Amino acid sequence: MNRHWNSYLNQTVSRRELLKASSIGFGNLALAGLLAQEAARAGVDPLALKAPHFKARAKRVIFLFMHGGPSQVDTFDYKPLLKRDHGKPLPFARPKVVSGQTFNLLQSPWAFKQYGQSGAWVSDLFPEIAKCVDDMCFVKSMWGSNSRHGGALLELHTGSDTFMRPSMGSWVTYGLGTENSSMPGYLTVSPTQSHGGGNNFGSAFLPAPYAGTPIGSVGIAARDAKIPFITNKETPRNVQRMEIDYAQELNRKQLETTGPDRALEGRIESFELAFRMQAEAPELQDLDKESEATRKMYGLDNPVTEDFGRQCLMARRFSEKGVRFVQVSHTYKWDQHENLKRDHAQNAAEVDKPIAALLQDLKARGLLEDTLVLWSGEFGRTPTAEGSDGRDHNPEAFTVWMAGGGVKAGLSYGATDDYGYYSMVNKVHFHDLHATILHLLGLDHQKLTYRYAGRDFRLTDVHGNVVKDIIG
Amino acid sequence: MIRLSNMLPWRVIAVTLAALPLVHAQEDGSAFFEKNIRPLLVRQCLGCHSATSQPIMGGLRLDSREASLKGGTRGAAIVPGNPAESLLLKAVLHTSGALKMPPGPKMKDPDTALLAQWIQMGAPWGSDASTAIAVKQAKYWAFVPPVDSKLPAVKNRDWVRNPIDAYVLQALDAKGLSPAKPADRRTLLRRATYDLTGLPPTPAEIQAFLNDTSTDAYAKVIDRLLASPRYGERWGRHWLDVARYADSNGLDENLVYKNAFRYRDYVIAAFNKDKPYDRFLQEQLAGDLLPDGDEYERWTATGFLSLGAKMLAEDDPKKMEMDIVDEQLDTTTRAFLGMTVGCARCHDHKFDPISHADYYALAGIFKSSKTMDNFKVVAKWHEYVLAPKEDRDRLAAHEARIEASKKEVTELTKAENDKLAAAGNVRIGAYLLAAAHLQRDSQVHVAPVETAQGAIIVVAGSFVKSNVSTPLEKQKPNTPKDSKGPYFAEYTVNATDAGDYQVDALEQEKGSGTPDLWVNGVWMRHGDPPVLNREASPEAGGWTYLAVVPLKKGANMIRLEHPNRFPYFEKLLVSKNTLAVTPLTSVQIAAKYGVNPGFLDHFGDYLTRSNGSFASPLYAWEILGTQAKRADWVSPVAKLFSDDTQTPEALAARYETLFQQAMKAAKDTTDPGLKALHTFLTEKFGPFRAPDNARRYYTSAVREQLKGLDQQQRDLEKATPDLPKAMGVSEGETMSDIAIHLRGSHWTLGKIVPRHFLSAITTDEQQPVLDDKHSGRLQLAQWMTGKDHPLTSRVMVNRLWRWHFGRGIVPSVDNFGRLGEKPTNQPLLDWLALRFVEQGWSIKAMHRLMMLTNTYRMSSDYDAKSFEADPENVLLWRMPRRRLEAEAIRDGIMTVSGGLTHADAQGGSILKFKDRQYVSNTSKGGDIDYDRTIRAVYIPVVRSSMYDVFRAFDLPDPSSSNGDRDATVVAPQALFMMNSSVMLQHSLKLAERLMSTVPDDASRIREAYESALARPPTPQEIDQAQTYVARMEREWKGDRKKAWQSFCKSLLSSSEFVYLN
Repeated sequence: MNRHWNSYLNQTVSRRELLKASSIGFGNLALAGLLAQEAARAGVDPLALKAPHFKARAKRVIFLFMHGGPSQVDTFDYKPLLKRDHGKPLPFARPKVVSGQTFNLLQSPWAFKQYGQSGAWVSDLFPEIAKCVDDMCFVKSMWGSNSRHGGALLELHTGSDTFMRPSMGSWVTYGLGTENSSMPGYLTVSPTQSHGGGNNFGSAFLPAPYAGTPIGSVGIAARDAKIPFITNKETPRNVQRMEIDYAQELNRKQLETTGPDRALEGRIESFELAFRMQAEAPELQDLDKESEATRKMYGLDNPVTEDFGRQCLMARRFSEKGVRFVQVSHTYKWDQHENLKRDHAQNAAEVDKPIAALLQDLKARGLLEDTLVLWSGEFGRTPTAEGSDGRDHNPEAFTVWMAGGGVKAGLSYGATDDYGYYSMVNKVHFHDLHATILHLLGLDHQKLTYRYAGRDFRLTDVHGNVVKDIIG
Repeated sequence: MIRLSNMLPWRVIAVTLAALPLVHAQEDGSAFFEKNIRPLLVRQCLGCHSATSQPIMGGLRLDSREASLKGGTRGAAIVPGNPAESLLLKAVLHTSGALKMPPGPKMKDPDTALLAQWIQMGAPWGSDASTAIAVKQAKYWAFVPPVDSKLPAVKNRDWVRNPIDAYVLQALDAKGLSPAKPADRRTLLRRATYDLTGLPPTPAEIQAFLNDTSTDAYAKVIDRLLASPRYGERWGRHWLDVARYADSNGLDENLVYKNAFRYRDYVIAAFNKDKPYDRFLQEQLAGDLLPDGDEYERWTATGFLSLGAKMLAEDDPKKMEMDIVDEQLDTTTRAFLGMTVGCARCHDHKFDPISHADYYALAGIFKSSKTMDNFKVVAKWHEYVLAPKEDRDRLAAHEARIEASKKEVTELTKAENDKLAAAGNVRIGAYLLAAAHLQRDSQVHVAPVETAQGAIIVVAGSFVKSNVSTPLEKQKPNTPKDSKGPYFAEYTVNATDAGDYQVDALEQEKGSGTPDLWVNGVWMRHGDPPVLNREASPEAGGWTYLAVVPLKKGANMIRLEHPNRFPYFEKLLVSKNTLAVTPLTSVQIAAKYGVNPGFLDHFGDYLTRSNGSFASPLYAWEILGTQAKRADWVSPVAKLFSDDTQTPEALAARYETLFQQAMKAAKDTTDPGLKALHTFLTEKFGPFRAPDNARRYYTSAVREQLKGLDQQQRDLEKATPDLPKAMGVSEGETMSDIAIHLRGSHWTLGKIVPRHFLSAITTDEQQPVLDDKHSGRLQLAQWMTGKDHPLTSRVMVNRLWRWHFGRGIVPSVDNFGRLGEKPTNQPLLDWLALRFVEQGWSIKAMHRLMMLTNTYRMSSDYDAKSFEADPENVLLWRMPRRRLEAEAIRDGIMTVSGGLTHADAQGGSILKFKDRQYVSNTSKGGDIDYDRTIRAVYIPVVRSSMYDVFRAFDLPDPSSSNGDRDATVVAPQALFMMNSSVMLQHSLKLAERLMSTVPDDASRIREAYESALARPPTPQEIDQAQTYVARMEREWKGDRKKAWQSFCKSLLSSSEFVYLN
C-alpha cells in the first residue's frame, strides 16, 4: 500500500541499478549524478513528470490572487439597476449568515463600457485589462460558503474552510510533477501570512515537496523576495562548490560501506540539484535580464505598478521555465469596507497594467495557449452599502476570470441577480472551479486522490463539477 | 475472457450475458444463488450489510431477499430483472457517482457479471429467502483485546534476549532470513543516544562506554540516558507531534497561543518522570476532573484539547463550535485510539464500524465541555489562571476595572459624538450650502509648476521645529509606535507678497495616511486616513495637491501634523495661486460656513455618490441646476416639497426646517416624509456618524479628560497582575446530549443521541449514564484507560516501536481501522501491549524492553539476500538506517559546535508576543529568535508560518495529529546545509573550538570526527582532510579559520552526520 512518503526511498533497488552502482563506483561525479537523476526521475523523485489522466489543455497555471475581496459590481459585473435604484433598500432577503450590517443599495462609482469583439463589460478601473477581454473568460456566477477572509481564503486555496487540506497548487504538482528539475514545482510570490497564511499554499498531508515554496512574503518588496536558504553572502560560489565536493566525497565513500541505499543516493543528488537551484532561481528572478520595453510594459518604471509588475514578470519567467504552478498575490488590499472609491482605484492602478502586460506577453510568446491564468479574490462584495463609501464581504456572488490554457476566450459565463448580490445562473462554486482547473490540466478531479487517515482525499472533497461550457 | 469496462458497462453486460450459457428456465435459480451469489455476498458484502453488522452501513442489509429489495437509506438495492436499475450493480461497477462498493479494490469482473446475471434472472434466493443468511462476524482484530500467545520456538535460541527477539526471529525464520550481526559499540551508542535524547554522544561518553567491560555496560547506558532531562525533551517532542502542538492558532486568524508552552513543558516533564500513560491520558482529557494530584498540572494537561487550529473568525457561531468539537474529537480518537472517528461527522464511517450516531454521542461529550470563552469574531479561547484563588480574584477584579475604564471612554466618546451630531442636525441648510461649495472646489486644481516664478521649494528635512526623526526615510516609520503624538514638523516660508498660495507635496507616502496642514496657526486641511495595508507600498508618484492657503508677506509658519505615524514626503512646493477663484478645502469651507469639517465630508460623499438618485431624500437638492425633473422623485420626502423653483438658499432653508421638524418629532411621526428624513440623519451610516479623528472637535477639557482616561487605562493594563495562565478545558455551562447533524450541518438536525462511547468496542454495561452535571470527559478517559481496552495500549506501544524502529508494527500508526495496515507481527504487538499495562503503563519500562533486545542492537548492514526477500525490511532483518529529524539535526549541529545551551530551568517561552496577538508574519525575521541556541523543542511552532528549518526537514503540519513523520530527501535540505544561518554560525563556532582547544591539525580532525560522527577518522581520512584544509586556506586567502569552517561545514553536511546507522 502506498502509505508513506518515506517508503519511496526504500524501494527495491533493481539488479540493474545495483550493477550500475557498483560498476561505476561513483568515481565520476557527472556520470553518477546523471544516473542518479535518471533513477530519481524514474519514479523515485516526487516531482518527476507524471502523465495526466487525459490530454491536457493547460500545462501550467499562473494564479493572480486579489486578497481582500474585489467588488464584482465595480469591476466586471455590470449592474445598471444598481445605478437606477441607488439608495433604495435591497428588495430581497440577505443571506442567513453575513459578516456585517449593510444598508441600502450603493451604485458603482465607476462607469462600465463594453470592449473588444466579445463586448465584455469592464469598469473604468481596468483600462488596460479591458484591452485583453477577447482573450479572457469571465465567470460571473462564482460563489463560496464562507463570509470571512480566513475561511474564504482557505476555501479558495484548498477547497475546505473547516479542515487543513492541501492547496490547489500542491494537488496540481502532485498530479503532474514538474518540468524543471532545477526549480520547485510550485512557487508562490509574496504570499499572504494572514487568513490562513502558509496553509493557503501548504501541502497539509501531501508530502512536503508538494508544498508551495514561498518567494518573499507580504511586506517584503518583490524586488527583495527570495527562496529560503537560497544563497548566503559569506561563501564565494567556487569555495562553496569545493565544500560540496568534499561533502559529496564523504557521502560517496559512505555509500560504498553501506551498500545500496536509495535515500543516501537521493541525498547526493539533492545537493547537486540545490546547487543548480541556487544558480537558477536568482537568475530567473533577475528582471534586469529583460528588455527595457518589457520592463516598461509591466510598469517596472512606475512606483505604483512596480511591485506587482515585478511579481507578474517573475511569474512569466518561472512559467516559461516550466514551473508548474505560480501564484502571485496582491495581498490583502481589496477589503474596502470604507474608502471604496479611493482604495479600489489605487488597487486597480497597481495591478491593471502588470496584468495586461502579462497576458499580452504570454500571448506574444505563444505561452498563453497552454498556460492557464486565473484571477480571483476570496469573495466578492455586497451591492449594498457599508457606510457611505464601502461594501461588505459577499461570498454569495463574485466574478473570476481565466485566460489561456484551453478556456473559451471572449466568453462571459453565468450571471448574478439584478444587483449582483447572489449568483443565479450557471452557478459555479469553488469546488467546480477547482474541478475545472484540474480538468484543463488533464486531471480528473475524482481520480486525483491521496490516501490519508483512512480516506482517499481529493481537492474537491465529495463535490465539484467540471464547467464544460467554459472550455474552448 | 469476460471483461467489463468502466466506460460502457451496460453494453458490455449485455454482451456478457449473451456470451454466457443461457440459464434454462427450469434450472433452479436457488442453485445458481447458492453456488454463485451466496458466497459472493458473504465474502464481499455481509461484513457491513447484515443484521449482525455493527453498524449496518447505510441501513442496507443484503442478508435476505426481502431486505435487499427494501434496501437502505438510498433505496432499493436490487430491481429484479433489471440490472441497469439496480443500485447494487451500479455500486460494484462504480457507475453511481461516489458510491463505490465494496470499499478497497474493485470487485472482479467475473463476479460483477455473475451479479448482473443473477439480477437479470429475477434475483432468485436460496431455499428460504425470508431467513437471513447467518453471518458469523469475525470480529475485527483491533477490536479484540490483546492476548498472550505461546512464545514462539526459534532455531537460534541464543539470539533471544527477551520475547521481542523471539517474535522477530520467528518471523525471519519463516522467511528463511537471519538477523544482521550486532552493531559495533560506537554505532550502538550513537544510535541509543540520539534515540533517547536527540543529541549525539560526547567523545567522553563514547570513551566511557568503550572502557566499560561489564556485561551490563549497555543497560547502564540506557539507564543513564533515560535519567537525563534531555530524554523528556526528545520523547516529549514525539508526543507533541501526536498532540499537533503549536504556539499559534494558524488556520484563519493566526493569534499567538502565548501559554501553549505550558502544555509543552508539562509533556516534557511527564516523560521525564515517567508518568504512567493511563494517568497521562486521563490528565489530558479530563485533568480538571481528577480528584488528586497537582491542580495546575492537571489543568495545564487539558491544553491537549484546546491547542488545535480553530476557525476563530466564523460568522456562524454554531458552525464554529461544532468545528472545534470536531477537531477535538478527531484528534483525541486518532491520538489515543488510532481511530478516524472524524470520518463519521457527515455519515456513517465508510469503512469502520463507527456510526453517525456514535460520532454525535462522542461529540456531545466535547460540546458539554468548555473550550472557548466565546464564539465571537474573533473568538476567545479559555485559559486557566494558575494561581491561588485570592490571586485569581484579584486578577478578575483588576480586569473588571480595565473594562470599566474602557466603558467610561466609550460612553464619554458617544456622548460627545451625540453632542456634535445634535449641533449639526439643526443646521442642515449650512451643511448643504457648504457641501455644494466643497463639491465645486474639489474639482478645481492645477498641476504645480516647479519652475513657476516665485515658487518656493520646502525640503522635507528643512523644518525649524519638529519631533520626528531626521532625515525622513521612505517606507520606514519616522516616528515611534507610541501614543505620544501628535508628531509634527514646522517650516518657515518667506513670501514676497501676501496672497493665496497653492501647496503641493512630492512623493507623498500613502501607507500611513497624510498629515494635517496648518498655516500661521490656522487649520487648513485634514489629512487622509491610511490606505489599507500599504505599509511598504509606493508613494503617490509625483505631486499631490494639498490646499490653497493664504500667506502674509514675509515669514509664515507651515505646520504638518499627524496623530501618530508621520509620513514620508520629499518636499513641498509653495506657488502663487493662478486660478481666478480660490479653491478651498473642506476644513476651510467648514470654517467659513460654521460647520463641522468631518460631517461636511460625509455630506460631500453622500451627494457625490447619490448624484440625483430618485430615491434620495436630498433629490431636490441634488438636481439643482440640472435637467432632471422633480416629478421623478420617488422618495416620500417629495410630498414635503411643493414647487420646484427654489433658489439654493431657499431650498437649503426649506430642508433645514423640515429636518428640524423631523428630528423634533423623532420616531413618533406618522408622516412618511418626515420619517424618511429622520432615518436619513440617524441611521448607522448617516452623515452625522462620528467623524474621523472625532476627538479634535471636542472641547479641550473633554480632550484632556479622555487623555487622562486613556492613560489610566494604559496604566491599569500595565499593572495587570502577571499571573501564569494555561490553555485548557473545563466542564461546560450546559451539559447535555446533542442531536445528530445530518450531513454534518447544524441546520439539519436529526434525533438526539445519548452521550456514549464507540458502540463497536463498548459493552452496554460500559456505556456511561450522563446527566447535566457531567460532560463525560472523565468517564471517556477512564473507559479509554481500562485494562482490557483493545486499542489504547496497542496504539501507544506501536507508537513507541515506530519511534525506535522507524516503522510501526502496525505501519499506519495513526490508523488502526480497516483502511489502515494490518500488524506485521500481531503476537509481538499484543505481547508488548499486555506488558505495557502490566508494568503500570510505564513508558520507560517499554524503552528498556525494546532497546535491550538483540533486535535493537543489530547493525544496519546491507545484505543482498535479505534485501531481495524483504526490501522494505518489514521483518527487521537489520536495524533500519534513519535520517535524523529536524530538531535532532539542528540540535546536533549546535551540540557539536559547543553552542547548544541547556539552562538549569528548562522550558518557558521565548515568544515576545502578547497572548492572542497576531503573529501573521515571522518571515521578515526578528520577531522570533530562531537562532537562539536552545533546544529546538523550545523554539516556537508558528502554524502556517513555520520556522524554515522545521519546514525543510518534515516537521509535520502542526494542524493535525501525526505520529509518523516523513523523512524526505529534497533539495531545500541541501540548501539548508549550504546557506542557513544555523550552519554558517555553528560551523564557524566549531572551527573556533577546534582551533582554540585542540593543539594540532590531526587531533582537530580526530576531535571533529569523534564529536560529529562518534568515530575516529581513518588515517586516510585524516590525510585527505588535512589536504583539504590546506587547499581551502589558499582559497580563503590565508584565513585559517575560514578554511577550518569549510571543513566543518562539509563534515556536518555529510550523510553520515545526518543519518543514524
